[in-house]
Amino acid sequence: MKTTPPILALFLLAVLPLFSSCTSTHKKADVTVNTVIKSSRKNVSAKVAPTTSKTDDLDEYAVTKVSDPLEGLNRATFKLNDGMYTYIFRPISKGYEFILPKALRRGVDNAFENVKYPVRVVNCVLQGKMKRAGLETEKFAVNTVAGVGGLFRVSDKIASIADLPAEDTGLTFAKWGIGHGAYVVIPFLGPSSLRDGVGLIGDYALNPVNWGVFWKGKHDWTKIPPSANTLRVLPSQLAAYDAAAKDSVDPYLSVRSAYVQNRAAAEKK
Amino acid sequence: MTVRQLLSLLFLVPCLCLSAADTAADAQQRLHGAVDEVLKAAEGAKSRPALHDKLRPILEKHIAFGAMTRRAIGPGWRQFTPEQQSKATQLFTTLIIRSYSNKFTLGEHPEVLYQKAATPAPGRVDVATTTVYQGSRYAVTYRMEQEEGWHITDVVIEGVSMIANYRSQLDAAFKKGGAATVLSSLSDSTSRP
Repeated sequence: MKTTPPILALFLLAVLPLFSSCTSTHKKADVTVNTVIKSSRKNVSAKVAPTTSKTDDLDEYAVTKVSDPLEGLNRATFKLNDGMYTYIFRPISKGYEFILPKALRRGVDNAFENVKYPVRVVNCVLQGKMKRAGLETEKFAVNTVAGVGGLFRVSDKIASIADLPAEDTGLTFAKWGIGHGAYVVIPFLGPSSLRDGVGLIGDYALNPVNWGVFWKGKHDWTKIPPSANTLRVLPSQLAAYDAAAKDSVDPYLSVRSAYVQNRAAAEKK
Repeated sequence: MTVRQLLSLLFLVPCLCLSAADTAADAQQRLHGAVDEVLKAAEGAKSRPALHDKLRPILEKHIAFGAMTRRAIGPGWRQFTPEQQSKATQLFTTLIIRSYSNKFTLGEHPEVLYQKAATPAPGRVDVATTTVYQGSRYAVTYRMEQEEGWHITDVVIEGVSMIANYRSQLDAAFKKGGAATVLSSLSDSTSRP
């Protein structure tokens, strides 16, 4: 059944920056809004909504509990990031959007997401999700061959591989039982945790666009793919960031809550 | 268990299943209606203020803003005076509607693929969708509850609940300075350009 959307834009835009690395794929929704995420080894947990009854109980949406011992520093970094986004990256993003038409930008996004296949498949394997690793391989093959090197996301037309959940190294650590640790705001990159921050190193190493950096000798061309990758995500990231900051009561808390909830949901997929 | 009881039970189970299916279908239909109304209004709007004016009555019809406000504020709500509750609901409603109107991009037509809806509790349906928006696919679930008709009470995108998100902010404001701080925070948010 297909139709166009309703009430979604507001919140959709508000949370986009928080799951940019997993925007292209997600698990086929199985109607579980209710996520109560608690792990004995996690310092960050989120309880989103009840599962058992329809009530108007004011207590049913428990406040997200987050280990944030560095809140002062995190807020300062958040503010710094806000300035960077606004005064440095926005002009760059506008220029990119001006130069490249929307259709081409979408193709570029598709291609870069497609090439991140090693990030997804390696983490599937490390988590023991062999069937999903196979589906990721199928998706990569379909998009690479039929989608002209990934420019077109042909996999959207195939139900079995259209909505595979995102995988990354942080989620692998979670699967292994490693808790978030403290919440941290990383300069430029934004919200993360100690666990997911370390995971970003794994994601970086597994992403082929960065492989040139590890080559011996200095070759200027190796900087092009990662730079292009950064450039192509800027428009959506900045638009979403603006929306999140504008719509919230406390932008810092809003982003932190969304990050924790999103990661908790991703761990369950 | 007597034979009569057993037969009653066997009869009741399929009836309950059918009832749940009907309920989910009703809620999903209501959501479709809301979607169609919003899009129709948006297509006819000439300017952003006009869009805001056109969307407000539609959203007020389909979204349970009162319940959303109470839940977004949380237990602190009980310490609000009736006047403060009324003011908070008014401000929160304005915040949500204004935000939505501002983000609505004319000419952008996201595609919503409806998944099977679930009925986690009587009078409540979670309508899961896959929404294709600007080339990306998102898991978006609309939580709907029946109270004088079906109304949207929460939107969950990629696991992020809108109400839980606001709760984290408004609860902090309440702990900081009670109802007055919540109201001033909401007022500040709605008055931001």
